[in-house]
Amino acid sequence: MDSVRKNKLAIVLFLFPAAALFIMIIIVPIIMSAYYSLQNWDGFSQGTFIGFDNYIELIQNKTVNFPKAFRNAGLLAVLSVFIQLPVALGLALLLARGIKGERFFVGVFFLPVLLSTVVIGHLWRRIYHLSYGIVNVGLRAIGLETFVRDWLGDPGIVLIAVFIPLLWQYVGYHMLLMYAGIKSISPELKEAAKIDGATDGQISRLIIIPLLKPILRICIIFAVTGSLKAFDIIHVLTGGGPLRASEVPSTLMVEMIFRRNRYGFGSSMAIAIIMLCFFFAVLIKTTIRTEVDSDG
Amino acid sequence: MKKRLAILLACFMMIVLVLSGCNTGGGSGTTDPTQKPTETDSSGSGTTGEDVTLTLWSISTESDAFHEAYNKAIAEFEASTGVKVNHNTYENESYKVTLATSVSANQLPDVFFTWGGGFSAPFVSSGKVLALDEYYGNYKDQLSQAALDNVTYDGKLYGTTFTTAISVLFYNKKIFEDNGLEPPTTFDELVQVSETLKANGITPIGISARDKWVLAMTHDNLTLKSAGPEKVQSALRAEGQSYNAPEFIESAAKFQKLVEIGAFIEGAAGLTNDEASAEFYAGNTAMFVTGSWMAGSIQTDPENPDDFDAVPYPVVGNNAALTDFMGGPVDSFMVSQSTNHPELAAKLAFELARGISKYGYLAGAGLPVWEVDYDDNDVNPLTRRLASFTESATSFTLWFDTFMEAEQATTYLTLLEQLYFRQITPEQFAQGMDEQLN
Repeated sequence: MDSVRKNKLAIVLFLFPAAALFIMIIIVPIIMSAYYSLQNWDGFSQGTFIGFDNYIELIQNKTVNFPKAFRNAGLLAVLSVFIQLPVALGLALLLARGIKGERFFVGVFFLPVLLSTVVIGHLWRRIYHLSYGIVNVGLRAIGLETFVRDWLGDPGIVLIAVFIPLLWQYVGYHMLLMYAGIKSISPELKEAAKIDGATDGQISRLIIIPLLKPILRICIIFAVTGSLKAFDIIHVLTGGGPLRASEVPSTLMVEMIFRRNRYGFGSSMAIAIIMLCFFFAVLIKTTIRTEVDSDG
Repeated sequence: MKKRLAILLACFMMIVLVLSGCNTGGGSGTTDPTQKPTETDSSGSGTTGEDVTLTLWSISTESDAFHEAYNKAIAEFEASTGVKVNHNTYENESYKVTLATSVSANQLPDVFFTWGGGFSAPFVSSGKVLALDEYYGNYKDQLSQAALDNVTYDGKLYGTTFTTAISVLFYNKKIFEDNGLEPPTTFDELVQVSETLKANGITPIGISARDKWVLAMTHDNLTLKSAGPEKVQSALRAEGQSYNAPEFIESAAKFQKLVEIGAFIEGAAGLTNDEASAEFYAGNTAMFVTGSWMAGSIQTDPENPDDFDAVPYPVVGNNAALTDFMGGPVDSFMVSQSTNHPELAAKLAFELARGISKYGYLAGAGLPVWEVDYDDNDVNPLTRRLASFTESATSFTLWFDTFMEAEQATTYLTLLEQLYFRQITPEQFAQGMDEQLN
């Protein structure tokens, strides 16, 4: 096989299919979006080149308010990292300890990830329903009627109401990543610590979590970029409303392109989302250093 | 030997990949797999249509109320001309995207369904749609010029229409009788009715603020009935009438008043149109303002369809009559400029519109725009009543968001949402509309 590896032609030929697919499906659309984003284009007639005007409007237009949509996504990212991931980590540590029915619980927590997001969206629309939703019914049943709200219709609280299902859905996903990570840590390390008299808490804190750092870093990157791209649940639950209170960059982009026929402006949002995702992924990768990095 | 084998294998993989890529790419999923090669039946009626296949795109999927009407109209056309019609259907929302992409890619079918007014304006101005004036002559007696207003751009006809819709006030007769109420004819009566119902613990009006066009159904009517059709149309066209005028501010104020007295269903901000309509069908709300298409659902969704009736939207002041309506024919067929058989395609666009107008009305799917020269006694009473409204109508004004082009329409709906949530005053609303219309 060595001779194949040294043959440049073979390398090119073998790489070509994957590279061609990657370029056609990912790189070319990004470049085309970038090109469209420099135009004033409605999607069917001839576009006119307007330089960076779309990007300037992106920052300055008060009615579209992209910065606010971005802040909403930022809040979601913060909540993901500081609420969703710790919960996932806690569950993973608990399950990996080998409790009874371990596999069953892994399946249960992972179930929301398997369900279609549209299904989950409609499920939560019922949960939040003003008159028969389980949240309001429950609140009334225990006498907390002052807390009954129109969860998806009140601009003041809709953002949190929309984020809860989002956070809930992906807990299982992160948990599974971490669970697999913990399982792959060699048991000798834990046993050695136990012999030295470490408690379960100490083992988790001083041995498992540090060794889990590469996985945690990946989870954080997924959580942050996932928050910036969040779309489906929000689209089903509120469509970004009321009064743009639950708008995130993706819902805004869809409105611009498909409701307002502003293909160029929408493309500039797409590019902004891609750039922000790249930026945060790189930022997280460089700030959280792991042993693997310093070795290499 | 191994080296050669590896290269051979790589080449093989590439070929497979390229071939399979071509296969799925070229098909692009738009052609109907059931499409037969051209019919060889030459015993047709001797017209020019032999061996010709026309492609038609529409949104009449199997769940569409007009689906059967399409099938019948197409069968009639095929039988009379011998032309084969290849009918492809799409889901409503995705169709809008498909159509827009096909216009820009110059891949329109011979005949396609579209919406008149602002939606098709960019298609027409891009020169991809065939003008139909020279083919209209044969059908003048059965299809009035007025019914084609929304598909006439710059004085030229670009489409045919087959159904019309008006927005009216649907109400629950049973609730009204139980509370000793009469359907309102003026805005003040509407307020009184709402207050009585509210006092009796019944939600007066169902509405969805999440699907903003439902808000527009009420607001468009209020504006029409407050300012009158001439002023509204002039304002929308920016032909001299300013939107920032007392009548327009008043209609916005009246809209907000309905919000303030609690006439609308609680939680409307979170309800979709379907959910809000379901509450109305279930008898939980007494009134609902929407297009005449609701008459079709009323036949199937509520337990007792006879409980429901409709009246024209109440008037505000003296500028408009009860017989002035919001709505009009917008569902349309247009012909591609690049069709190989312009004459046959135009014929299909007209014949199909006539057939669907008839069969759709008989099935209770919508109101006809073509002359009714057949017996319609079997149509449900509610649809017949709505059809009688359109016959005696003094004017039709297209819904604001249909009349406007996409960008303006969305801004209008956003302003309306702010008005509903009382984020802006009626004066600010009228000013915002004035700014975007000019």
